[in-house]
Amino acid sequence: MKAKLLPLLGVVFGLLMVSGPLSAHHGTGAFEMEKLTTLKGTVTKFEFINPHALIYIDVVGDKGDLEHWIAESNSNNHLHRGGYDKNSLKPGDQVIVTGHRAKNGAYSLELQCKECSVTDLQGKVLLGYYV
Amino acid sequence: MRNRLMGSIPALAAVLIFALLLRAQTPGQPDAAKARTGAPTVDLSGVWEGNMGDIRWATYSFAPEIPPMTPWGKQRYLAAKPSYGPRAVNDSTDYVNPTTGKDVGCLPPGVPRIYIQPFVFEIVQTPGRVIELFEFDHHIRQIFTDGRQHPKDPDLTWMGDAIGWYEGDTFVVDTIGFNDKTWIDRAGLPHSDQLHLIERIRRPSSDALEIKMTIDDPKAYTKAWSGYRNFKLRPTWNIEEFICADNADYNEEFINKGGAYSSPKPSGQHAKPATPNT
Repeated sequence: MKAKLLPLLGVVFGLLMVSGPLSAHHGTGAFEMEKLTTLKGTVTKFEFINPHALIYIDVVGDKGDLEHWIAESNSNNHLHRGGYDKNSLKPGDQVIVTGHRAKNGAYSLELQCKECSVTDLQGKVLLGYYV
Repeated sequence: MRNRLMGSIPALAAVLIFALLLRAQTPGQPDAAKARTGAPTVDLSGVWEGNMGDIRWATYSFAPEIPPMTPWGKQRYLAAKPSYGPRAVNDSTDYVNPTTGKDVGCLPPGVPRIYIQPFVFEIVQTPGRVIELFEFDHHIRQIFTDGRQHPKDPDLTWMGDAIGWYEGDTFVVDTIGFNDKTWIDRAGLPHSDQLHLIERIRRPSSDALEIKMTIDDPKAYTKAWSGYRNFKLRPTWNIEEFICADNADYNEEFINKGGAYSSPKPSGQHAKPATPNT
C-alpha cells in the first residue's frame, strides 16, 4: 500500500509545484490548474465587481448547441490598477478566452494566471491578468 | 576658583559613569525597552502590497512549516475546512473565502490573517496612534502608541487590543484580546482567545516593508512560533472600495450557477449548475 501511495504523492507534489502561486480570493482546487482551456465566443455580460470580475460568454459547442460559460477574473480593484475598467468588455464582443476549466466539467473558467486572458479575435488583450 | 572647578570635573565624571553603569545593570531594563518611544522614529506610511514572490506557502500562510500544536489546537486544525493550503477542500465553509454559496464571506479574517488577503493596506501614523486601513472589506485596525497598557480583562474582538511603540528603526505591535472565531492564516491554522501576537515592522528599504511576527498561543501551540510577510510600496495607489455585499452577487453567479464547486460528474458529462441557495 505504501509503495503504491508514494508515486502518487510524487505526482501530487509535482502538480503543486507546476501550478505555482496565485493571489486569488479563494482556493483553486476545483480547477484544472495544470492545463489551459481556450474558448471562442461572444460576451453577453461583464460584471466589474469584487471579489472577482465575471465574464459571461456564449460559445457554440461541437454539436452546434449554445453553451453559456462564466469566467472569473481578478477583483475589479486589481484590474483597475492594471488599466482595465467596466468598459473593457461589452456585450457582443467576439473574444478568445484562455483560462483554467472547472475539474467537474461545468462551463466555468478561472482566469487568474499569467497566461490567462480575454483577447479579441486578432489577439489584442482586452482583459489581462493583473497581480 | 578655576582650579577648584577643574578639580571637581573628574569627580563629577566618576559619579556620572557610576550612575550609567548602575542603570545598565538594573534588572528588567533591557536596552530595547529603554529605547521605547511612542513618537515615530521611522516612517511607515504608505499603501503596501504583499510581495512574497513565487513562494507557494505564502499564498496561504506566514511560515513553511506547520507548527506543533496542543491536542486542542490539533482538533481545531483538523475540524477546519479551508479553501487553501495542504488541507484545502472544494466545499470550504471558510466564512472569509467560502467555496460554497452558503456563506457570503463577510466576516472579518482577523489579525494576522488579514495581511494574507490579496488586497493592499495603508499605514497612517498619527500622534498617539497608528492606523492600518485594509482595502479588503474596509477593515480598520488601531494600534495605540500613547503609552497605554492593555486592559486587564479586554473584551474579545476580531482585531484584538493593539498597543505599539518604536524601537529605533522598528515599530513593535503587541496585540491580545482576540476572539477565537478566526484562523491564523488561510490554511486553517488555529488560534485561541489566548493568542498573543507580537509584530516587528521595519522598512528595510524605501520601497519595502517587512513584518516579522511571533505567534504565542499556549492553548493552541506547544511553543511560540515565528512567521513573516514582505510588502512593496505602491506610491501611486489609493485604497479602493471593497463592499462585501458585492460578494453575494459573485457567490450566486459563479459559485452557485457556475457550478464549478458542485459534485464531480463522470468524465465526458457536463455538470448541471448547482441549485442556488435561497
